[in-house]
Formats: sequence, structure tokens, C-alpha cells
Amino acid sequence: MMLARVADSLYWLGRYAERAEHLSRLAVVMLNAALDQTDAADQAERIAMAAVGHPAPEGGEALDCARLLVLDRKTSVSVVSSLASARENARQIRDQLTTESWERLNLLYLRATGVGAEAAFAADPADFLQRIIADLHQFKGAAEATMSHGEGWRFMLTGVYLERAQLIARLLKVCFDDETPVDDHVALVGLLRMACALEPYLRAYTADIDARNILEFLMFDEDFPRSVRFSTERIQEYLAHLSGGHEFGRHDPLRLAGRLNAKLAYADIDEVETGGAGALLGAVSAECAAIHASIWETFVAYPLETRLPA
Amino acid sequence: MHIAPPRVVIGRRRPGELKTPHSSTQQAAPPLSETAYLPGEAYDEMFAPGGLTRANYRLLDQDIQALGAQALADRQKTLERSFLLQGITFTVYGAGSTTERIIPTDLFPRIIPAAEWARIEAGLIQRLAALNRFLADIYGDQRILADGVVPRDLILGSPAYRRQMKHLFVPHGAYVNVCGSDLIRDRNGEFLVLEDNLRVPSGVSYMLANRDAARRTFPHTFREARVRPVERYPDLLLSTLKTMADRSNPQIVVLTPGVYNSAYYEHAYLARLMGVPLVEGRDLAVHDNLVYMRTTAGLRRVDVIYRRVDDDFIDPLAFRGDSALGVAGLFNAYRAGQVTICNAPGTGVADDKAVYAYVPAIIRYYLGEEAILPNVETYLCREPVQLSHVLQNLDKLVVKAVGASGGYGMLVGPHASVAEREAFAEQLKADPDNYVAQPTIQLSTAPCLVDGRIEPRHVDLRPFILSGEKVVVTPGALTRVALRRGSLVVNSSQGGGSKDTWVLADQHDVSVGDAPGTVPGGDGP
Repeated sequence: MMLARVADSLYWLGRYAERAEHLSRLAVVMLNAALDQTDAADQAERIAMAAVGHPAPEGGEALDCARLLVLDRKTSVSVVSSLASARENARQIRDQLTTESWERLNLLYLRATGVGAEAAFAADPADFLQRIIADLHQFKGAAEATMSHGEGWRFMLTGVYLERAQLIARLLKVCFDDETPVDDHVALVGLLRMACALEPYLRAYTADIDARNILEFLMFDEDFPRSVRFSTERIQEYLAHLSGGHEFGRHDPLRLAGRLNAKLAYADIDEVETGGAGALLGAVSAECAAIHASIWETFVAYPLETRLPA
Repeated sequence: MHIAPPRVVIGRRRPGELKTPHSSTQQAAPPLSETAYLPGEAYDEMFAPGGLTRANYRLLDQDIQALGAQALADRQKTLERSFLLQGITFTVYGAGSTTERIIPTDLFPRIIPAAEWARIEAGLIQRLAALNRFLADIYGDQRILADGVVPRDLILGSPAYRRQMKHLFVPHGAYVNVCGSDLIRDRNGEFLVLEDNLRVPSGVSYMLANRDAARRTFPHTFREARVRPVERYPDLLLSTLKTMADRSNPQIVVLTPGVYNSAYYEHAYLARLMGVPLVEGRDLAVHDNLVYMRTTAGLRRVDVIYRRVDDDFIDPLAFRGDSALGVAGLFNAYRAGQVTICNAPGTGVADDKAVYAYVPAIIRYYLGEEAILPNVETYLCREPVQLSHVLQNLDKLVVKAVGASGGYGMLVGPHASVAEREAFAEQLKADPDNYVAQPTIQLSTAPCLVDGRIEPRHVDLRPFILSGEKVVVTPGALTRVALRRGSLVVNSSQGGGSKDTWVLADQHDVSVGDAPGTVPGGDGP
């Protein structure tokens, strides 16, 4: 039992922290690709910008795109906007976070949005972003190690995994739902890096960089924490605890999550052709959005009369 | 009162002098020469006239000397960084950007000897007991008004008087559960009450955060000096609030206006340390005169609300209709005895600057005692004789608007220009009821680290008193500091800072780790 508003803020804190990390990684990969002076650079740029729904700036260099992804406060889809929102949510529920986790997040926020931030980014953008990613890992680590893994924790992680499932699904959709799916070696490696999946992928499939394998790995792998399947399984697990055995009807978030998870658990890669993966990926995004809405209606914005104590 | 007689000490360094890190002689670093510390006319907390260090400051003095200027500056930086990291900040909204600043904090503690504290504590308990009785009376039978001790129109005409509170049952008669009085020390070293804050006093989180920092800044002195602990404040607050409920195992909540309030950090801090939910108005709902909070598992009953929202905003049905911060129907639930609001609405009528002048009479009326802590002499402009005295002496007096707080709406006569005084005199004559006047008091000074030098700054003292079934004074306080040289304004909204306050244990008292409130005088009158 916790305040509905607090649960909502924890959920959003998880979502924004995850978003900040993902955007940082997209930007780093894009910047590193730009060093190579091949057309892979353009591909990486196109993938990254399309994955966040930004139109790539006209004739824009990778650095301009990265600056947009990282420092633009006018859009909600940038690293600093996500960090500011994460921190704002955290501040509203400061009493729920342990000092250890709050201080990590606060420090990260102050550094990434403070006076020296733009100069630090200009001086060494990759280093600036790697530090943000490392700091976010520290925040999550501190939270994992010091917060009670109770209801609040589960709301926060439900936010993390819902965001992750949607971001990865979107990234894959951009790469494989096209008439010309990405099949260039360098671009595929870039995709794996954007999903922070290169090393785990290599261990699972060896250095055989293949679009079909990548799709299988990022969609269906049971153990890799950034696969869509892994995320939906966590979502189902947390929601099972959060519902506490109550059933909330047809729009029960647990029911929706279970259905999505089963779809992924029993899917077969042979039926999902690359280039035709769009249907399943689109369904994943839509189902995640439905789970998101039903969490809000079930736990936060329910009508008073329905939930008076017995 | 401990005041060393002025005397010349030969061969002794001047007050405030510091050694540089590399010098081993008594020679002072250039910026810390004679001009650096001039205690002036005010009572100085650390140095007696003539420059002798007072006994309660001797350990700290040694520590300061041993550390030297560089180490002190480093520690000041560490301290500021720790405040920033913890988020003990207020937000400054500027054009296009927002920045967060820490509340300026000075690293030297202000140190109060045991005997002085015992008197302060007894005085505070006496004062709050009388003020609670006063509130129960004016919202009850109004005997004190009928007996003519306090003018009826002053109370019933006050904007802070809440008719809605009339004949409402308040457990233990504890209208004011959390009180933060402002004390000052005059030229003779005597503590006076400057103001009673009975509405939603803030600052206690700074008391706790300052302590945390000061303990790390001067670990050696802290250990040796036998400083009484303040850390139990949150659990004492929780037990006080529990005594205000009529169900066993009550659900307590802290009600905040939200994250944009300048004291939000404190609201979250107290909720976290008490382990109770921090709620906003939108988290609460009233159904059949019961107050509920919206949880993920449905509605949950609430028994006691420690509200950090002003009276006007707690319930749009009972008070201001345009308030979006409050909870519709909350006051009715309170009247019905189904929830307790702490502090009770309407307590502001008793901390009014005009009512203040009557507090010694109020103490006499209810307790049959003389006030242990005196008031600052106050002229009520509503009395024609006193008004003409005030008008003749505007250049010597501080004139304050009765309803205003935070250092606004006041005239500091000695510092004002002739034109300012004349303009103010017109306001005064137009609405004398709205003003009181007091002589300018030289607040005491305490040493502060300012730009690498130790300089005297004026300070006041805000201790915190809890009252439920019992009255408890936490042995510590927030010392507010006027940061500008010579300034007497300590309000944080006007550039004030703060420092930690150490209350020393009695030398014969072996139980330094005692629970606050169990020292002599702790049980009240």
C-alpha cells in the first residue's frame, strides 16, 4: 500500500532514467560511427534519429544530431530533458528514495544540466555521455542495493522495463520494418551497440553478425536484460505482485502483460521474417501503451466510490 | 549571565585572528588583522569585552586555531557541497533558466552553556503553556476578553481569528503542536522573545542538517564539548502527533503544498525521518466526514495531519474558496472529531505582533507567574499615547506592520532616510491599529567565516517546542545569521543564513545522551 501519486512518480522516474540512458547510448554510437567516414555514419544517424522520432536536421552533422539528442531542452526526448524529469519526479517523492540513490541522481542531474555542461559536451561529447551512462548505472545500483524491494521498487522497475520494451521495439522497427532492412555489417554492429547488446550477442552467436539472429536475440532472448521478451517477463512479474491477487476486469494490467508476454514467449523467429517484423513489433508497442494506460487507471486515477475500504 | 569584565590581555591574539597554515608564530594572517573582528556594541557570543574567549567557546577556539585559515576554507567548501548534494536548496527562477542555491550556512557553531539553556527552556515551556490556554479560551468562553486583559476587538477583529474554530474540541488543549519562537539576545546578554511562530514554523530541518555538518567539521570539539543531541526531533514529533489522535495505531501524514514550496525539502525530510507518507491536497479525499488518502490499494483512513499549509489553504469549503492546495470537506471532518489538524487552524491570532505585547499579561492571567523570558518593549500604536510617543521617536524605533512577517512592511528608523520616515509616519497615522513599534535592539553577534575572514554577524535563535500530551523542547535550535555586515535582518527570504547551535550538557550531568526535555525545568510549570 502506498500513495497513488507516489507510485505514479516512481513509475515515471524509472521511465525517464531508462530513456536518458538509451538516448545517451544512441548518441554515443552515432558519434563514434561518424569518426569512420563511411556511409555507415549516415546509417547510424538515420537509425538513431528515426528511433527517437526526431527528423534529422538538414545536412546535419552527427555532432549536431547528437547535440539535439542530448542537450535540447525544448523537446521532451533528449538526455537532459529526461534527466530533469527523472529528477523532478524523484524530488516529489524524495521521502521514498534512500539518500544513497537520491544523491547519485541529484549529482548526475546537476552535472548534466549545470553551468559547465554544454562546454563539457563540446569538449568531449563521448566522454560526457559515457559518464552519464555510468552515473545512471550507479543510480540504479545504489537504488537496488539500498531501497526496499517492495511496492515502490516494483513500480519504478515496471516503468524501467515498459520504457525499455518500447524503446527496443521501436529501434528494431526502424531497422527492419523497411523495404530495405538494414543488412550492412557496420550498421548492424551499430544497432547492437545502441541496444548495449554487442558483447552478449557475440557470446551467444559468435561473431556471425546476421540480421535474423540479431532480431531473434533482441526480441526473444530469455536472459539478456535488454531484450523485449526479458522486459515483458519482468513487467508481468512485477504487476503480479502489485495487483495483490485482485482482478480489475478486462483492462487489468496484469492480464494485458501476461498476454503480451505469452505472445513473445511462444513466438517463432521463423515466422517473423526480417522486413516483415513490423507487425509483431507494432503489436508490442501498442500492447505496452495499453499496459501503461491501464496502470494509470487501476492504481492511480481510479474513481473514489469504487475503492472505499470495506 | 556570564559576562567577563573587560580587561586587557597582554600577549594574547586579538579575537578572530587566525594563523596561516604555514606560520607557527602568533602573527596573524594579513586579512585577519584588527579590522577583521570588531565585536562592536552588541553582545558577542564568543568573545567577552576585552577579547577574552568565553568559557563555552574555549574548545572551539583551540580547534579553529589548530586548523588555520586554509583548512577552515576547505571545510566550508565541503559543507556547502554536502548541502547541494543532499538537495537542501531553494530554487531561484530566473529568465529562461532555473538555478538552485543552498541556504548559506556558516561552519562555526553557536554554543550555549547549560545554565543559560535551562532558563530558555523553562521560559519557552511556560510561554507555550500560556499561549495554548489562551487559544483554548478565545475559541471557548473568552474569559480573558470578558475580564478586559486583552482587548476584544484586537482578537475578534484579527484576520487570523477563525470563527470556525469556536467550541471545537482539541485534544489536550494543544492548539500549537509545533512552535518555533524567535529569541534574541540584547546588549546585556539577556535573552528576549522577539516573536512567537505558532502557525507553520519552519527551519527544523536546517537545525538537523547543520548539526550533521558541524559534527563532521569539528569532530574533536564536538566530542569533547558534551553537546546535547537534537537527532531525536523527528521521533519526538511523531509521538507528539500520535497523542493528538483518538484511535490507537493512528495513520499520521505530513501535508505539503508541493514541490514548488520553498520549504518542500523540510516537508520531505520530516516525512522520511518519521516514516509517514508525505501527502499533497490531491492525495486526500473526504467521504462521510472521514479523511482518506488515495493509495495504490484503494482509500486508506487518515487520523492526524501535520499540515505545512497555511490555514487559508487547507479547505476551500471552510476557508479560501480559490485554494487548489487543500482538501474539500477537511474542516468538517475535523469538527466531527474524525481527524486532527496540527497545528490547529486559527493559532495565528496569538502570534500577531500586537497580541505579542500582551503575552506577559497572558502568562500572568493563566499561570499566575511572571514571564521567565521577557518581551522586547513594544509600543502599541492603537493606543493614542503610545502612538504619539512612536511618532516623536521614529528615528530610534523599528515599526512593524502587525500582520506582516518575513521582515516585510517594516521601518528601521535609525537606518531610514528622513523622507522614508515621513512617508511611513503618514501610513502610521492613517492606520495606527496595524502597527507596533519597538526600540532597535542590537542583536548579539557571533563569529562567522566570511570570505576567508572571521567576522562578527548578528544572530537570533529559533528553538523548536513540541506540545501534545506533554511539552518538549529540543535542546538545540536554528541560529539565523544576518549575512551582511551590520545588518539586523536574519530572515532567509532577505539574505539570511544559518549555523548550528550547540547546547552544552551540564557539567555535573553524566547523562549527555539523555532524551531531550528531561533536563531541569523540562516538565514545565
